[in-house]
Amino acid sequence: MKLTQNDWNLGHLKVHLQRAVDLEFWTIPFYMSAMYSIKDKSSEPYQLIRTIVNQEMLHLQCASNIANAYGLSPSIDAPVYEGTTIPHLDFSLDNKEVIKPYLPYTAEIGPLDLKHINAMCLIEIPEYDTQEKVPLFSNVEEYGSIGAFYEALRLGASHLKKDIKGGVRQVDFFSAFYRNMPKMKITEPKDAGFNQVDLLIDLITEQGEGQSKVNHTIPETFQNTADDTEPEDDHFEKFNEIKNSQPFPETFQVKKVSDYTVEDKELEAILIEQFTELRNTLQQLFSGENPENFFAIMASVGGAIRNCWEHGVTPKYI
Amino acid sequence: MKNKTIFRVHPTINFARFGTSDDYILSPEDSAGMPQEGTDTTGGLPIKKGTEKTTITSKDLRDEDGNLKKQAARFRIYAYDHNGKASYPEGGGIEVTIGTKLPDGRVVKDLVWSSHLANKKATAYNVVNNKGILAYADNQVPQLRNPETHGDIDSAYRLNRLMIDPGPRTISALSKESAKFDDCTIPTCLNDKGEIEKLPAYPVRFPADSNEELFKPNGPLDTLGEILTDDKGRLLVLPSTGNAVGQYDEYGVPIQMTGDLNNVGWFDSAADGPVSVTIQFTDGSSEEAFGAWVVCGDPAYAPQIRNVVSVWDDVYDTFVRELDLQPELFRQTGESENGDDGEGVYRLDYLPNFTNDIKPTFIACTLQRWTANLPEMALRAHTAVDAISENDDPNRTIMAALNFLRNPNNEETNIGAPLMPLSLGAAGTSFMTVTKTQYFFLEQWSKKRFTKGKETKLGPGELLDMASLANCLGGRYVPGIEVSYTVRCKDMYIQDWKTSGAGPFRIKHFPLKYENLDKSTPFLKSGWIPLHDMTDGIEPGDISKFMATPWQTDYNSCSIHQTAINTDGVNKSNGAETTLYWSWPSQRPDAVYVAEEVVNNVLPKQKWSIRGPGTYAVNPAQAATFQDPLDAVNEWHKIGIIIQGTNVDIEGREFSPELYLEVQGKLTNPGDATDPVAEWPFNANPPKKKSKKDCPF
Repeated sequence: MKLTQNDWNLGHLKVHLQRAVDLEFWTIPFYMSAMYSIKDKSSEPYQLIRTIVNQEMLHLQCASNIANAYGLSPSIDAPVYEGTTIPHLDFSLDNKEVIKPYLPYTAEIGPLDLKHINAMCLIEIPEYDTQEKVPLFSNVEEYGSIGAFYEALRLGASHLKKDIKGGVRQVDFFSAFYRNMPKMKITEPKDAGFNQVDLLIDLITEQGEGQSKVNHTIPETFQNTADDTEPEDDHFEKFNEIKNSQPFPETFQVKKVSDYTVEDKELEAILIEQFTELRNTLQQLFSGENPENFFAIMASVGGAIRNCWEHGVTPKYI
Repeated sequence: MKNKTIFRVHPTINFARFGTSDDYILSPEDSAGMPQEGTDTTGGLPIKKGTEKTTITSKDLRDEDGNLKKQAARFRIYAYDHNGKASYPEGGGIEVTIGTKLPDGRVVKDLVWSSHLANKKATAYNVVNNKGILAYADNQVPQLRNPETHGDIDSAYRLNRLMIDPGPRTISALSKESAKFDDCTIPTCLNDKGEIEKLPAYPVRFPADSNEELFKPNGPLDTLGEILTDDKGRLLVLPSTGNAVGQYDEYGVPIQMTGDLNNVGWFDSAADGPVSVTIQFTDGSSEEAFGAWVVCGDPAYAPQIRNVVSVWDDVYDTFVRELDLQPELFRQTGESENGDDGEGVYRLDYLPNFTNDIKPTFIACTLQRWTANLPEMALRAHTAVDAISENDDPNRTIMAALNFLRNPNNEETNIGAPLMPLSLGAAGTSFMTVTKTQYFFLEQWSKKRFTKGKETKLGPGELLDMASLANCLGGRYVPGIEVSYTVRCKDMYIQDWKTSGAGPFRIKHFPLKYENLDKSTPFLKSGWIPLHDMTDGIEPGDISKFMATPWQTDYNSCSIHQTAINTDGVNKSNGAETTLYWSWPSQRPDAVYVAEEVVNNVLPKQKWSIRGPGTYAVNPAQAATFQDPLDAVNEWHKIGIIIQGTNVDIEGREFSPELYLEVQGKLTNPGDATDPVAEWPFNANPPKKKSKKDCPF
């Protein structure tokens, strides 16, 4: 249901912010799984996906910082990877000609292949239609693209500037990787705080999801200054580069589940266990705590994914 | 075959380190960062003079006038029961000192030690930054240093003017003799009669002999060190003060140092050379031990901070893969187990030991934080690596699948974070890798093929060999700190180490016969070079000649760099060309915590190790260095030393064993403002735009 500015309230905004967190978090295991399925870590696709995964983590931090500024400590829920369902995105609402090159796709965890790279492109596809003013919806499932969703979030956030509080449970692990970027925390209340919110939404949409644009060059402010192979390219551009440079690099052989050994099942269980712990530590992190093992468990999840692939086991997260 | 008693000097390669004081401490005899029984203090600390193994405290590093004490290299002799074929590890060995009674009844009367130090840096070839050892491949050699001094590499004209050679010195431990490698002591050697003989005709060479005047910013270069013995007859080799002198140009101006590696017209007092000993018994017989080698060079500014790849890792790897060190670990020839090309293959049934073979790499990882400006995420990840115990399931650790370790068998040297180690690599590569043997051990561990518990297979002499090398910088020999890439060349070592009885890791001495000496003819030649099938042994000065001249300029500059410094100026890494990485973070501290600024064991902000006046950088790439190379030559001894909290001795203060802190720094006073240490990743200034040519071609 479309909402007017008068209907729009903090509850609606918090629902949107939680969905932003859900979406950013959903992409991380999906992209990481494809990346770690590639045998050669020096291959261009591996390296491109690595840079995108890093930025998705940054986006998760940004979305969480914004949420906390509006009083919501986001929940880090278990992502579901089934069929063709990508949370809160309904590609049937999109221009069919725009999405046609990226079909078929899958939302299930798997190695880097055509269906998975198509899904990644679709998630990051820019919103070209900038003519219409973005409406606010009560139901976040009603947005056709992430672009529309984030523009609605920006608009909705602007209506509630007065509710922003600075310095609440803010996290920043990425500033040194973005030397041209101002602070990545919401430190100010109200109007000044909204300028910071606006900046973080710009960062998310310029690097990745949803920016309405025909030029895929990221403004210098938002470019990675440390460890990106192509810092000026946005996610859609990078995923398209992978899609268009087939054949894909060699990936690990995938076993049927019925062929899993005891060791394989154990590796699968370890990943689930560690990913659950990662979700818990992220939850703590964005709730104002400083969990001691956050980086260790985050890295361990990466190792566990790689370990699964090396044994022919498709990663599972729940 | 009947067993025979043989004698070996240990460590096979040992290191004396510069100091400006006349007083000295002893180089460490255990391995950097490794736990030691019965104490919280980890290995790698120097030892107090006159003691067996009492580690120094911060107050022992300088004399009462504030001068940095030298570190003496202590050599011991061990006797082995040898059956004609050595193996490794061999274990056993009893130390031989004056008065020792051997199992065969012989009693040691005297130990007559000899050494011959030299410095050939100015006569040698240039160090080539981006080529490394490959500059010697295909029968090629790099350009000569000091090319304006005419002649080829072996011309007497050049050697007379550019080589520093005080000649050999021989001393009797029983007589408590000592001898200086200086320009006014007559060289001595042990003659065929077993007597110490003076060599007045030896062609001693020092820079002042061929230069009317020299620029001596920190005193005349008139000695390369000294030898003496302790009360048990062990040899102590003391280095020089580490000073350097320069020539004047035609206008009477000291020749400007223009770079970090090959400065024309400059000499330093680094040195290296063989160590030999003849054991004389009360029954009138004598025996010569298998000798060792001493290298006199840079101070150890962070002696307990273990290198992820140390010289030990490199030398061990070379012996494993090329000199048949442990056939049960690596099969050199014949059928391979996994389709390898037959050059050699690791044996998958070999089980490394967690404590000895795996844990040292994990410990090194976590110690990097004390000398480099690592970000918080790295600190926490490294802590998790260090916390891994032998009882942990590798698949449940942060090191699962070795996911974040650069694989030396793959083309991964240009991939930066998150692959580790994140320090700069060898010539031609952006980033470093662990050695293939280290990687194999870690792979075995990750596949749960390893042993637990303490395994002590090494004898005391073998432990000294390992410790000495483990305390030195490996991996990135561009050109290195103590030794260079040549340490990986099998041609340099005694290759028949099994049958000769020499044991492994022993440098082959070029046979020097001090006969027919002529004051006008240089005794030493240009000596050994790598990749030229030279297997006759190496001469004095043949190790240090591959290092920078003067040494201070390289130590100074090798702080932080862009990766392109290794790759012909072209960024081949997967990150920004301006991103800065650490060159030698364990051995050449970059960012440190100053002990005086620690309160209640809460760490202060990091400071650059080299800081204060003369170090302020316009470009972050030049941070943490003296901006004028002459300051490096003059001020190096004021740099602080990083040691563990257990041994920081500051009145009324107690420090946690978890901390490794800078002490005895003289460059600034606590609280002085200095260049701030940036959080990593940080960047150099963008490259300058190339000037546009006016002509169209």
